[in-house]
Amino acid sequence: MTDTREITLTVNGTEHTIDVEPRQLLVHAIREELDLTGTHIGCDTGNCGACTVLKDGKPIKSCLMFATQADGSELMTVEGMEDLPEAGDDLHPLQEGFREEHGLQCGYCTPGMIMSGKALLDENPDPNEEEIREAISGNLCRCTGYQNIVRSIEYAAEELEEGEIAAADGGVVTDADGSTITPAELTDEDGEFDCGVENCCGGPTTDREHDSVSGGERE
Amino acid sequence: MKPAQFETHEPNTVEEAVSLLESLDDRAILAGGQSMVPMLRFRLAVPETVIDINAIDGLDYLEEDDEWLRIGALARHADVEESDLVAEQYGSFADTAPLVADPQIRNRGTVAGAIAQADPKGDWGSVLLAHEGEIVAQGPDGERVIPAADFFLLPYDTTLDENELITEIRVPTPAPREGSAYHKLKRKVGDYAMAGSAARLVLDEDGRIETATIGLTAVDITNVRATDAEDHLEGERPGSEVFKRAGELAAEQSNPESDEHGDAGYKERMVNVLTQRALGDAAERAGLVKRRVSQ
Repeated sequence: MTDTREITLTVNGTEHTIDVEPRQLLVHAIREELDLTGTHIGCDTGNCGACTVLKDGKPIKSCLMFATQADGSELMTVEGMEDLPEAGDDLHPLQEGFREEHGLQCGYCTPGMIMSGKALLDENPDPNEEEIREAISGNLCRCTGYQNIVRSIEYAAEELEEGEIAAADGGVVTDADGSTITPAELTDEDGEFDCGVENCCGGPTTDREHDSVSGGERE
Repeated sequence: MKPAQFETHEPNTVEEAVSLLESLDDRAILAGGQSMVPMLRFRLAVPETVIDINAIDGLDYLEEDDEWLRIGALARHADVEESDLVAEQYGSFADTAPLVADPQIRNRGTVAGAIAQADPKGDWGSVLLAHEGEIVAQGPDGERVIPAADFFLLPYDTTLDENELITEIRVPTPAPREGSAYHKLKRKVGDYAMAGSAARLVLDEDGRIETATIGLTAVDITNVRATDAEDHLEGERPGSEVFKRAGELAAEQSNPESDEHGDAGYKERMVNVLTQRALGDAAERAGLVKRRVSQ
């Protein structure tokens, strides 16, 4: 029988006690034991950063340490982002930034990018472009060329700063012109999702059949 | 891929770690793990036991006394990167830390672990050579101090005894009018060096070079000193002509291999350029550094 060890991890504010093998990597414990599959496994070599999580506030690659080494520590994964106070009722400004600025294409690297962005903004709320590029230098993206990822993080920095000013004003988040933004503004009168972009894709759900997925029936 | 099965031990003291080393046959030390974990995952290393030293208290220091800058075995690259002391006084260390791998890896990986791994493409070995630093190791018979110049044997092979644990990396505190710098060429962020040069200069009261030490990265089977260039520099006044010749001598003494990133001639040329740049920065810093007066 394989030797296992009991460890305790606080992940996104919730304490978990799990049994792990000494050889189990932290990323596997997060995905397989805790069912938090937002943390991705990309390269298997420690290069790509898709598995980035925050351990005691600092970004680390969860494929480069064993789960036992995280015993007693506080972890944050991408699933924890929308529960942060800055997220309000919707997405965290960083997640929103990736949506607004088209910071993702296939999305595979995005959770790692968001966690590196989070670590940066916690330390440095007003980073310049060079600082953002340095912060995500351990995160590889094969789709975007990084430009929009940088913009996404810049967007979040601005939103967070505005949020802070608003909070100081009494806790209402306002747009640049002073009007209040509500999540409802992203849906039209029929309740359809509208991100405001021309030729909008229709949002996360659509009634259209995905014929091409079943194969061979495209014209 | 997951590593093969192994047992783990998590000693709480250096003595405990050393006695584990003594009593166990087939074992590996795990510190930062940023190279060791991939080696275990790819089963390049298949030890029966992993001795994880991260639980040892008091090894994560980075501090200075009258004689030494001391870097404990569990100090991370990020600790060097974030240190005000390093930023003010140890130019080559301040240059090197942000060039090691990427931010996530610097948060976990240790300086001592990188030295112990003895990768000829690793940056810290060259810096340690240029500072004439030392490796402090604890073994069953007590502590041993190994000068950096006697440490590196072959790629991934050192004079560390198999029952010894590195506890500290240390370099002498800077002399008055000392400056150092590190320049590195890498293909992209996160890569090991294609070539690198660490230079340290101590000027005398007249502004001539009293001591010159240069460590080279990735251009021989280990990190090496560029002794011909050092000899050429000593007694000279710092300047572009003398640095140019030192760069040529460093390139001549280096012994790089051609690979997919560049042929040997290209790398020699890079040694020349990087050495000149490192010397230029070191000279400038030697003129600027003022030692704090000891209390």
